[in-house]
Formats: sequence, C-alpha cells, structure tokens
Amino acid sequence: MDETVAEYIRRTVLKIPRDEIKTMLQTWGFLSEAQLQTLNFHQTKDYVSQEVVQLCEDNSADIKQAAVLDIIYNHVYPNKRMWSVYQMNKSGEETEFFDLTDFKKKFKRRLQTALKNVTINFREYEDNAIWIRIAWGTPYKKPNQYKTSYVVYHSQTPYVFISASVIRSTLPLLCQALVVASNYHDIREMELRSHCLNSLKDIVFKRYSQTFQTYYPRPLQERNVTSENVDLRIIQENKNEKERILRVNREVFGDGPQPKLEFAQYKLETTFKSNPTLDVSDIKEPFRCLVKFSSPHLLESLKSLAPAGLADAPLSPLLTCIPQKARNYFKIRERKGFFPGSFVSP
Amino acid sequence: GVLPHLERLEARAHALALRQEAAEQRQERLARLQGRAQELRLRRDELRAKLELQQKRLLGNEGVATSGDPDAAQPSDRAILEWKMRNVQDLLQLFYLTGLSGKRTKHGVCFCISTAYEGTYLDSFYLDLVTKPQVQIRRHSVPVFIPLEELARKHLQTDIKRFLSVLSDHLNAYVGRRYQADQLQERFSGHLEGTLQRNSLCNALVFKYNTSGQNEAFPFSARLLYGDPCRSLPTEAVVSCTSGAPAPLAEATAAHAAAFRRLPLHRALEALSSPRRRPD
Repeated sequence: MDETVAEYIRRTVLKIPRDEIKTMLQTWGFLSEAQLQTLNFHQTKDYVSQEVVQLCEDNSADIKQAAVLDIIYNHVYPNKRMWSVYQMNKSGEETEFFDLTDFKKKFKRRLQTALKNVTINFREYEDNAIWIRIAWGTPYKKPNQYKTSYVVYHSQTPYVFISASVIRSTLPLLCQALVVASNYHDIREMELRSHCLNSLKDIVFKRYSQTFQTYYPRPLQERNVTSENVDLRIIQENKNEKERILRVNREVFGDGPQPKLEFAQYKLETTFKSNPTLDVSDIKEPFRCLVKFSSPHLLESLKSLAPAGLADAPLSPLLTCIPQKARNYFKIRERKGFFPGSFVSP
Repeated sequence: GVLPHLERLEARAHALALRQEAAEQRQERLARLQGRAQELRLRRDELRAKLELQQKRLLGNEGVATSGDPDAAQPSDRAILEWKMRNVQDLLQLFYLTGLSGKRTKHGVCFCISTAYEGTYLDSFYLDLVTKPQVQIRRHSVPVFIPLEELARKHLQTDIKRFLSVLSDHLNAYVGRRYQADQLQERFSGHLEGTLQRNSLCNALVFKYNTSGQNEAFPFSARLLYGDPCRSLPTEAVVSCTSGAPAPLAEATAAHAAAFRRLPLHRALEALSSPRRRPD
C-alpha cells in the first residue's frame, strides 16, 4: 500500500472522535467485522489509527477507498467546513429523468479532460443528496489529498452546495463540470454562506417554518396560554404591548427552529445623513461602511431581540428577510431598497 | 459536702438541657406552622383570584341581559355560541380537506394546497399571493423541484384557477409517487435489495427485488419512469431478470412490468408476491 495512502488514512482516523471511530469504520465497510473486533478502541487515538492503517495494509487499500472514508467523515461532520450556495439556471422545459450514472460519467469526463490529475469520488445518500469529493493536482503533480473540494447536489434542483477549497483557481472548472453534467446553462454564486450545511439546505429548499395565514385552525392547546402558576398579585402593566410583540415576532419568524447562520454582512454605500448644522453634511460621496452581525445562531438571536426588549418589533426587514431572500451578504445603496448581485455566467 | 453539691449541679444541668430541647422543639414547630400558614394564605389568594376570574367570565358571556333568571339564560347562550363555533370549524376543516383552501390577507390571498394519496392526507403546501398591481407570488412553501415559476409564467396572470389546478396536480402526483416509494421501502424491505434508488421528484426509480420476501436472491431488476409529472403511475416500466435465473422467472418479467404500470407500487409488489397462481 502506498505510503501516502497510509498516512492519509491515519490522519483521517485521527480526526474522528474516539467514540465514533468504530461506527464510522463500520459504515465504511472496507474492514471486515472480524477485523474490527480485533481493534481496541479504548486505547489512545494514536494507537488506534496505527492499527487501522495496519489492517488497511493487509487489505491493500488504495486512494479510492481512503477517499470514501473521508467523504463519510465529512458527511457526519459537515459543519467543520464553510459552505457556499450556487444556483444553476436553464431555459429548457423538458421533464428530465435525472440519470445518476449519466451525471457521474459526464462530470468525471469533463473534469478529467481539463485536468488529468484529479481524484473524484461520489457517494449517494438516502435524502437524494449526491456528495462529490475532488482532490486537485496540477498537470505535473499528483492530486493533493489534503486540498479537497466537496460538492453536495440534490438531483433535479438548481442548487449546488460547494465547500470552498484552498485552491480558488479550480472553482470555474468545477462549476463548468457541474453545469455540463446536470444539463443546465450557467451557474452563479449566491450571497449565502454558512458552516451549517443543513441550514443552507433548509433555506433554499424552503424547509424552514414559514407562517402562512390560513383558516386551518391551530390546535386548541396553543390558545390556553394563561398559565396557572403565575402569581396573580402581580399585574403586568404593558401586557398588551408584550402580546403584540410576541404576535408580530411569530408572524415574522414562525414557530419552528430557525436555520443556523453565523453572520450577516451589510455593505453600506449610502451617503452620510447627519444633522444639518454639522459641516459633514456637504460630503456627497457615499460613506463606505461594513456592518457585520455575528452570532453562534444569528436568526435565533434576532428572533429573541424583541421579546427580550432589546429592539422594537417589528424588526427591520433588512434583518428579517434573510431566509426569504436566501442571502446573508447585502449591498445597500442609495435610493430605496437594495440591489442583489447580478446574474453572471462564467 | 462536695458530692451532694455536685449532684445538685448535675441535676440542674440536666433540667436546663431538657428545657432547652423543649424550647428548640417549640421553635421548630412554630416555624413549620408559620410556613404552613403562608402556604395556606397563598392558596387562598389563588382560589380567590380564580373565583373572580370565573365570575368575570360568566358575566362577560351573559352580556347585558342580566334579567331575573341568570342560570337558565346563561347555558343556552353559551351552548349556541359553542355550536356556532363548532359549525364554522367543521366548515373550515371541510374546505381544508377538499385540497384547496384560501384566506384573504391584507395584500392578497394565501392559498393552501393539501395533498392526499389513496385516502391518506399528506403534505400541505402554501402560496402567498399579492393581487395588486399584478398577481404575483410573494412567498411559498412549494419544493424547489416542482416547476412553479414555469407554471406561474404560463397561467398565473391569465387563469388563476387553471394555475392552481395544474399546480395541485403536480403536487399531488409528486406526493403520491413519494408515498408509494416510501411504502415499498417500508413494507417490502425484505423483497428489496438495499434501498430504492430514486431522485428528488421520485420520477425515476430503480430497484432489484424478489417475490419470495426472504432476503436471499434478488433476480428481478426494475426501472420505472414517470414521464407525466401529473401522474402517479409510471409511463414506462422495464423489468429484467438476471441471466442465470430459471425460465419461469424470465417469462414473468412482462407480467411484472404490466403490474407496475397498472397498480401503485406497493400494491403491485403485494400482488406479485401473493401465493395465488393463475391456472395456465
């Protein structure tokens, strides 16, 4: 077995938390159950990884199998990478039967004719997600297994989730291969980025809870909010206002959990509006300013601002439109509203 | 003498200790009783407040007419109100069950398309429309692989009924196909090799199966294509058999393909696996 492969497997196993190593190796399926029984998972990870490498040596693992283990690790821990969302566009109306083998063949062919030294692996999951792992090389060097890009694609949707690789120059090549393989015309990067892949999927596939006004009666339990254990000697002075805030908040954010984003960035290119008595007002140039909101869970924290009394309800639509507009990078220019990034094909 | 003196002192100490103990016990008891009194006071307040609330509610229900016989007038008013509410709720539920219901909003209408397959109610999808200046979709919860923009382009401005009807067909068909695939996977997992290979729209299915139900060999291989997005039965079904299989199996593939084209997936496999044999 190649030394680089051995080292790669060893490092991948080291990344896995000790309690998860056994399950992940079982999912991998490369080592037999009997072989797994011989491993002692209570040792330090160093020892475990070396034993795993030894077993892989016995089974003569090659880079393809090692890559599968890497995909499995990234599928279980996708939040360690930063994901960007891309949208593809096509004009045709044909109903298509998405053919997986055809997709894979076209993708590989497109990429390999342009760059011979790439390792490409596919893995399909039950939620119709296709994971693609690409390790990039150069015309003169073998693929560097530590510089990988990941692509997650759900068939028959125009969205692709790409985990940015260190090598930005390979991105156009990757985009082109995706467009060709999935029968679309062009692709553009959306202004939506996060570490939480599932939340990005929730936003673009509209799987998060939105409130729609319907007559369908909500379950009665919700209406009896008057709790019995409130001390009735205490009177809420602004009960109406509190209820209004909760109601408005619920209309905007819905009842369910919010998708998890870590930041929202607003690039302001507006002129400075100040008190007319100050001299600054005659500057006609836009005052360039960048406002960035960060949080471990941005949308949940925005949702709790008004009920906590830290902001007025309803919140500014600039903040609340994030899941609806599926973006967390904004450019705000003069005049009314803001202009989203334009559609550009590579 | 010294000894009797000591005895007297000892006796006094003993008596003192007893008195102290008794005093401590009295204190404890006092504290306990005070706590209890506090609890009871709180409870009394709670009950008083509940009583007031209840009385206010009853007064509110009655309204202005508080004539001679409050007990007789009150239940029937209340009963009528409850009956009316139940009626309206049932009516709304009925609208919801028809598959298409709507509610006016301050900028337009919000439609709810509820889908079903073979008597089981499945997902609901929402469309929030604005009506001025033009009819446009403001928000929706339709999955991204349903061609909503295309349908809107074709029908939304001209014939909104047609738009909703076609969209409902698409959604019902998608949900129906997905339901069949889920049912097949769940109830016939012993007949299938691994998991069904499908796509987001559930309009292309590939799977290997057997009719015996035991997890041994899977001689049949099926490929179903659903060409019409508004239908939940396949337009094309191709069943093949592995090359080493016995002749009767190979001959049955045509019958299998016909069954898949005619019946819902899980019913087709049920029919094919049943021990009934047609006399030749």
